[in-house]
This record gives sequence, structure tokens and C-alpha cells, in this order.
Amino acid sequence: MSTSLVRVIRNAYRVGFKDYLAQMMAIGDTKYGTLVGIDRFGNKFFENKEEDEIHLRTRWVQYKEKYYDVSQIEPGWHGWLGYLVDTPPNALDAAHTTVRKQPEVSRVHNGTGTRDAYVPYSTVKPKFESWTPQIKERV
Amino acid sequence: MIRLPYSTTLRSLAIGRPQVSAIRAFSASTAALKPLATTDKQLVTKSSLPTDYPLPSERKPQNVIDYAMTTLDAIANWARQGSFWPMTFGLACCAVEMMHLSGPRYDQDRVGIIFRASPRQSDIMIVAGTLTNKMAPALRQVYDQMPEPRWVISMGSCANGGGYYHYSYSVVRGCDRIVPVDVYVPGCPPTSEALMYGVLQLQKKMRLQKITRLWYRSR
Repeated sequence: MSTSLVRVIRNAYRVGFKDYLAQMMAIGDTKYGTLVGIDRFGNKFFENKEEDEIHLRTRWVQYKEKYYDVSQIEPGWHGWLGYLVDTPPNALDAAHTTVRKQPEVSRVHNGTGTRDAYVPYSTVKPKFESWTPQIKERV
Repeated sequence: MIRLPYSTTLRSLAIGRPQVSAIRAFSASTAALKPLATTDKQLVTKSSLPTDYPLPSERKPQNVIDYAMTTLDAIANWARQGSFWPMTFGLACCAVEMMHLSGPRYDQDRVGIIFRASPRQSDIMIVAGTLTNKMAPALRQVYDQMPEPRWVISMGSCANGGGYYHYSYSVVRGCDRIVPVDVYVPGCPPTSEALMYGVLQLQKKMRLQKITRLWYRSR
């Protein structure tokens, strides 16, 4: 029982009017849960395991950006959000934390439609040639 | 109106752009072995044209008319994103994943995507699967029957560039040889989530579009 009117009114009363509007604009549902953590991009991650949430709808994210994209989520949190792991990245101890050798990129986003769009090009000679038809004069 | 945040470090890391620093570093390392005939500056093609000219989506409104126009654009783009009616062009196994998108699990109806059987009622064509030479005229004809504005999503490796059948005698090496493609969804086949993400990218493209720039430009 996830979409009852009682649940919607109760959760809207709990989260407040502002968050209710934000949730309806983003996920189209009114959810109430505990704040598990915030990634370094400012996205907030919530979980509600106890109450009447449907299976695989117990974890959700509240994006920081207005025009959100799943590529704006930190990788560890993305795994937690997709039920790949049960321990959120901020609850891991130092032994289980992956440290990146390369310098961290400040922001990862999908560059499609912007100047960062991936444009492939080939540097090798093509393996086949186009056919140019030679038409003979009809007699 | 809308500007996506991006960092200059990421721009310099983007693939496919010549790196001036890399070329200089390469020439500096080989200078000890062989004296270069050209200087460093001649290695980079110079252009007198401005390279930092903003895209139409990056341009910010300047005056009152600009603000009014961008508002009109936003309304039109909102309507286009909300009535995303694709013409299905299911050709192979990618079509099965496309059907899953319309099924109850991914439920495309909740974001306003309704499959239309007629090209005259659809805005978007999803080319899902291997496009053969025999099917190519039909694809082009269906595309020509779609009313403007129209978009094309190329779904899967075969539609993107021939894929597995790239060296076949009877397969078009990418449906972008037949129709202009807006979004390429990679995968063999792409999952339904991947197609949904492609749909979201196309909605982003619609959102950044400035329709009124055809009639008015402040500078």
C-alpha cells in the first residue's frame, strides 16, 4: 500500500510544504524518510525501510540541481541508490574506502548537448572504399 | 536562459580536442634527439575566428525582449518535452527493449511517451535495430512523412554504426547515413534504462533549444 491518500497527506505534513512541492516536481510522489547522507555535489539521499514503501522504492535522492541528471550523483552513492550495496559510502570505514589515485574531477556530468559532448573521429584508413558507379553510354 | 555547469578542467580533458600543452611537451622531449624545423606556434593551426563564441543554449538574455522570448521558448519546449510521441521503428532485438520501456516496469506513459503507429502523428523516431539496405528507403520515407519538429533516436550498435554487421554487404553502416540523428544510445542491445536515459538526453536537447532565435536575435 504505497499510494494511499492517507500516506500522501501524512508524508506531506511530515516533510513540509516546500519539500512536498519539490518532491512532486521531481519524483511525482511524496516520500518521508531519514537523511542518510549528502554527497560532495550536494545531492541528498534518503531511506525509509520501516514503513509502507514498496520494494525497491525505499531509497531515493533529492538532487541539488534543478535540471538533474543521474550522472550528477557520486559513484558510491549511485551504487547504494541502486541497491548494489547496503552500506552507504559515508558509513564505510577507512579500510573499505576506495581512494582514487588520479586527481578528483570537480564535476562529472553528461556532456551531451553542451560543449563537452563527445565527438568521435577515426584516425585509421577505412577498410573499404565507396563504390562510384561508372555508367557506360548506351548505344 | 539555461547554462549547465561545467568546469574548465573537464573541458580540457575532453577527448577529441588537440592539446596544446601535449604538443609542446612532445616537441620538447624530441628536441634533444632531432632539431625541429618548425616552431611550437606553427604546430597549432591558428584561426582568426573567435573560438569562444557561445552556443545558442549558453547565451543569456540581454534585454526585455530576450526575456520574453526565452519565456516563450520555455513554454514551447515544456510542451514538446511533455508530449514525447515516438514513431517506433523496431527492426531487431533492440525493439524488444523498446517494448520493455512501454511496459509496466519502466512505464513510459508516466513521462508522456506514447507510441504512435503513424509517422504523421509522431515527433520522434526511435530507430531500434539493424537497418538494412532494403529497409533504408522505407526509413527515409517514414522520416519524411513526420511533421516538423522531428527528432531521431538511434538505438543500439547496429543503428549507430552498423555494429556487428558493419562489414556486411546488405546493412547500412549507421542510420545517420539515411536520417539526421539527435541522440545515439550505445549498447547491444541497450537496456531499457539506457533508452530511457537517451530519451532524457533528448528532452535536455529540447529544453536547450531556442525556437525564437529564428526570428529575433539581440546581437
